[in-house]
Amino acid sequence: MVDMAFLLVTFFLLATTFKTGEVVGVQMPRSVAGLNLPMTDLLTISVDKKGQAYLSMTSPQARRAWLQKHAQVNQINYTEEEYKTFELIPGFGVPMSQLRTLLQTPAEERKRFKQNGIPIKGDKNELADWVILARVTIPRLRIAIKADANTPFRQVEDVINTLTDINVLRFTLITQPKKLEDNAGY
Amino acid sequence: MLDIDEIPNPNRMRRMGKEKGKAGITTDMNSMVDMAFLLLTFFMLSTTMYRPRGMELVMPVPDDAETRTQEVQAVKASQALTFIAMPENKLYYYRGLPTPAGIQSVSYDKTGLRQLLQEFVNETEKPVVLLKPHPDCAFENLVILIDEMNINRIARYAIDKVSEEELALLRAAGIPVPTQ
Repeated sequence: MVDMAFLLVTFFLLATTFKTGEVVGVQMPRSVAGLNLPMTDLLTISVDKKGQAYLSMTSPQARRAWLQKHAQVNQINYTEEEYKTFELIPGFGVPMSQLRTLLQTPAEERKRFKQNGIPIKGDKNELADWVILARVTIPRLRIAIKADANTPFRQVEDVINTLTDINVLRFTLITQPKKLEDNAGY
Repeated sequence: MLDIDEIPNPNRMRRMGKEKGKAGITTDMNSMVDMAFLLLTFFMLSTTMYRPRGMELVMPVPDDAETRTQEVQAVKASQALTFIAMPENKLYYYRGLPTPAGIQSVSYDKTGLRQLLQEFVNETEKPVVLLKPHPDCAFENLVILIDEMNINRIARYAIDKVSEEELALLRAAGIPVPTQ
């Protein structure tokens, strides 16, 4: 019996991929259709109920390359520690002006840092900038939108329009699985 | 946990130990088994067996007013069905071109929406559906609509903005339209 237990432990040890923390809690709508998400090289734009946008990138290496590109374009010199922090955080939702401050905050306080989303409106469309940087840095990047079920469509429309304006015409909407027999949503 | 009997004492009851008779060391393995089960439980709970799904969306090339009107006109009105998703989970639709009498409401569930779509697919040769979510409706509504497109195998559908004309028609039909 103990052997069985150890076998199981070993299996789970090797099979788990730890779920990285989420940058913002989003309750996604459910859908029947849809394929399982690709796990590699995915840039997720999370939109919460209030319409604030947060960005997360899948792998730490990708995040580092992304930040390096950002540093290059905006001529900022991040320290090695800031790079390491960026690799670790699951995502962020702050304007570029606050990014450095966020990275310099120690881990405990970072959880309480008020991240109010990445600006989308008007001429300060930082979301577009980040997405462009990501596409340039990572080949075969896929983009997904993870919006709360109760987000007013207007906010999601802004994100979609941002993407189509920078010529991203193919993206994924992330949903929770649902069986065909289940009633629609409500 | 470990019990070391220096001198095997024949008068005491012998415990069941791993190494019987070897300097009398008996180890109690219960704790290790407990640890093993603890670890097992931990890993069982931390695996993510559930993978969220992703629905692929392909948007048309953005607003070139000319290409947009050209594409829309190429669709015969009789083959088109337009849905307008309003806030508070209300769904309205009309066939073909918008007319005051044509706007009807339908519910989101199987009996309403899915049945409507199945009839539409059966009747029409090349069905085309336009999805027009009102900016104040919930994102979930759009996801349900796209999901129904996939379920009913409607290949040609597009997401578009609600036009002023349609808003006026909704108001004329007595449907409350939030002021923007």
